[in-house]
Amino acid sequence: MTHPRMLTVLALILLLTTGGGTARAQQTAPPAPAVPEDDPDLDLSFEQPDFSLITLPTTLRVPRYKSAFRITHRFGRPLGQGDFGDLAGDLFGLDSGAQIGLEYRFGLMRGLQAGIHRTSDKTIEFFSQYNVWQQGDGRPVGVGVLASIDGTNNFRDSYTPALGVAISRTIPRLGALYVEPIWVNNSNPEPEELVDDNDTVMIGLGARIRIRPTVYLVGEVIPRVAGYDPGVTHGTFGIEKRAGGHTFQLNFSNGFGTTMGQLARGGVNGDDWYFGFNISRKFF
Amino acid sequence: MPRILAAVIIAVATAGAACDERLSDVAGPTANLEPTFSSIQRDIFQASDAAGRLSCATCHNPNGGAFRQVGLDLASEGAYNSLVGVPSAQRPGVLRVAPGDPDNSYLMHKIEGRPGITGLRMPRTPPFMTDGQIRIIRRWIEIGAPRN
Repeated sequence: MTHPRMLTVLALILLLTTGGGTARAQQTAPPAPAVPEDDPDLDLSFEQPDFSLITLPTTLRVPRYKSAFRITHRFGRPLGQGDFGDLAGDLFGLDSGAQIGLEYRFGLMRGLQAGIHRTSDKTIEFFSQYNVWQQGDGRPVGVGVLASIDGTNNFRDSYTPALGVAISRTIPRLGALYVEPIWVNNSNPEPEELVDDNDTVMIGLGARIRIRPTVYLVGEVIPRVAGYDPGVTHGTFGIEKRAGGHTFQLNFSNGFGTTMGQLARGGVNGDDWYFGFNISRKFF
Repeated sequence: MPRILAAVIIAVATAGAACDERLSDVAGPTANLEPTFSSIQRDIFQASDAAGRLSCATCHNPNGGAFRQVGLDLASEGAYNSLVGVPSAQRPGVLRVAPGDPDNSYLMHKIEGRPGITGLRMPRTPPFMTDGQIRIIRRWIEIGAPRN
């Protein structure tokens, strides 16, 4: 697919989204209230303090017209390389190169968010999520629909779209569990003439457990259940601290992937684990 | 809202269609090479390429020295019958092309220059085939070496 065509498609997505929102607003918008609306999406959720688990999305909604920023780091030094002295000498991998991701997301309307994530291997991912259900009022789970597309070489090559569903079950004040079936198209970077499978179906499984008032344990595995599945099942676990609008997370993973396309390609191998961190900030 | 969501999903799915990498980028100096027998015969066996690789049929033809030594003719219509399912003259326990099994196909051993081959890596005179050309031949064998 050519680059201009991709830009046209993205413009179409933006037009459809904003156009629809305007139309809805014209049909239903009441007169501006004198008192600002109390948006429950602005409230802190103890069970889902952030929009991402580690790499998988949560079902936390971005409040309308609010935004959030995230940095991801995955250091390239396997933690098992050499002895502990070597590891400490490299400051647990911090002296090595890293795959770094920068992410920004924005609440377009109630329950609908969109964002961009770029990793330092020049992959750019555009993503959106619409939260169909919120847990409660007779609904046992929260459900969000995910759509994304990432492209390598600064979104010029190898486009990898993905569609999925994020299902969450929160446990009051303790945390949340996640099941996220996701279909990733064109996950195999080779030409289709040379491959058996060009798609991946994966199921993200994750949990966030609150162990202290502002401290959580997080973990996720993303087995591929059908299609292209090189490498090993991607897995990550970590610990995180919430501090106001910030979340600081230290994590350990067997791969560097943070976009859907990268996650579909799996972890590096089952023996090497890598140190990393995520830092996120909500702008509200 | 459902209408917008559906539109976004359709747009993204449309964006994803037909966005694979191009085979010609892999094929390198034989830009039209495909994992079909007719293409391999035309672009590899019977033709040189822009990188300077000699055609296989330079020697593997009914009048060539390689044909007299190992009985492999890659110049004619009989090339397929000389390759697929036929034991190698140099290593009779290994088929020249074992459909579906490139790792046990002597053709792959020879063009990859693996240890254990008899004689030289092919082509006899460098440059050898590119990784992409070899990958495409491997794929033809992987999918069963069809006569297509």
